[in-house]
Amino acid sequence: MNEKKRLPFGMGRLGTKWWVLVGVSLTLVTRGIIAYSQQASEGEVVTGMRDIGPMGGAAWGLYIVFVVYFVGISFTGICLASLIRLLNLKVLRPIVRPAEVMTVIALILGALAILADVGQPGRAFLMLLKYARPQSPFFGTFAMVISGYLFGSLVYLYLHGRPDAAVLAKRPGLLQRFHRWWAAGYGDTPPERARRVRSSFWLSVALLPLLITATSTLGFVFGLQGGRPGWFGSLQAPGFVVMAGLSGVGVLILIAAGLRQALGEKERLNLELFRWLADFLLVLLAGYLYFLVVEWLTNSYAAGPSESLVSQAILAGENAWIFWGSVAFLTLPAFLLLLQRLRGRVSLPLIVACGVMVNLAAIAKRFLIVVPSQTHGMLLPYSTGSYTPSLVEWEIVIGLVGLGGLLFALFVKGFPILELDRDYLGGTK
Amino acid sequence: MNRTAIAIWMVVAGFSLQFFAYFRWAAPLGAPTSPAFSDPRIPYAPAAFIFGVMLVFLSAVVYELQGGGEGESDG
Repeated sequence: MNEKKRLPFGMGRLGTKWWVLVGVSLTLVTRGIIAYSQQASEGEVVTGMRDIGPMGGAAWGLYIVFVVYFVGISFTGICLASLIRLLNLKVLRPIVRPAEVMTVIALILGALAILADVGQPGRAFLMLLKYARPQSPFFGTFAMVISGYLFGSLVYLYLHGRPDAAVLAKRPGLLQRFHRWWAAGYGDTPPERARRVRSSFWLSVALLPLLITATSTLGFVFGLQGGRPGWFGSLQAPGFVVMAGLSGVGVLILIAAGLRQALGEKERLNLELFRWLADFLLVLLAGYLYFLVVEWLTNSYAAGPSESLVSQAILAGENAWIFWGSVAFLTLPAFLLLLQRLRGRVSLPLIVACGVMVNLAAIAKRFLIVVPSQTHGMLLPYSTGSYTPSLVEWEIVIGLVGLGGLLFALFVKGFPILELDRDYLGGTK
Repeated sequence: MNRTAIAIWMVVAGFSLQFFAYFRWAAPLGAPTSPAFSDPRIPYAPAAFIFGVMLVFLSAVVYELQGGGEGESDG
């Protein structure tokens, strides 16, 4: 009887919606690959990036904006997964695996965005391993985040998936060999369970400080550059951590809502879970808006001439629409979520809309952190520069987003995206 | 050697690698008064640091998988 039972959560069944998602993702990935081949063959002249100063451009553009964005998303995924396990937050338990998968995929995308940014990825990779300074924030971001953090997250996902893999490995089918490999002999004996609890605890304990350090280091890449007006400041690192939390929780809300709709899992992915996520979002929004006001006050009250030029470009210049748009997409969700909290109701469409808005705001804020400080407020006598991402850059970045969708769609069909119930297939998980 | 000992050994080795790569093998810390401050004292010191981080996390896999199998005693 059990043998005939379907695989859980739509695994192995390829419906129309799934094919549409895969088709769209593959199209985006293909466009991205074509754009990248153009960049690889013709050089970075096909991008909108140019040297700072003499060429009046920005050396870091859309790729670095999305490196920061992807790493931010990954931070929240594994951070939430660790906290849910450490604090045993049962309401949020169903989103543990989606959060882990989100982290791994976002880190892969972050690594690819870095490779897209450097002219010769192979050479950069070799030089990084041979000559980099482990003390440098650049190394911390581009090597430790991607290697240590990605590796740690993969280990976390792998070990926590073993019990489910062991249950599924008993079922004959195309995926049986894969599940057997993943289970790696897991038998759910009391000693194995005890080991799992211990390793899970220590992994969470090891990952959490690494996450905070890695994301802060990303902020230090900007915040420690004293010669670049607009970047130097002690708020960059905590600001990066809070913004990472915001964008990650936003994406997690979208993923959870998508899974709830696609899998019909309204009981496990219930409104109480979304209320928790909305509350997280509200707290993080309040924190980030506070940072925003403090930063704005500091820059407008006592800034030097160069800092003032950068502030002017952001508040009233060519980037003003991005800044005020991001402010709107941060304050509106905060207001709506607060209103919802005060009324004691939970509206899923509203929470999803807030998730979308904070992510648009996060991308806009990353752009404002990365770009204007390179084009405005030069300390040397160079004129003001400008940067507009080229079509090639957009196609590569959108291709990366498509790759993320594709990887997620493939994972969902090969492994349970939600943790299995204890009694699934008579297992004793 | 049981699984716990191997895992602890890996954690210690991993952190030691990170420590030596950071403080002894990489380019020295301090004001860059000479070219010696630019290059690592031992080539591939950054790779050793990354390997150290990975070794620490890998210890969790070894702890759970080493010896594998049902009925394995919890060493």
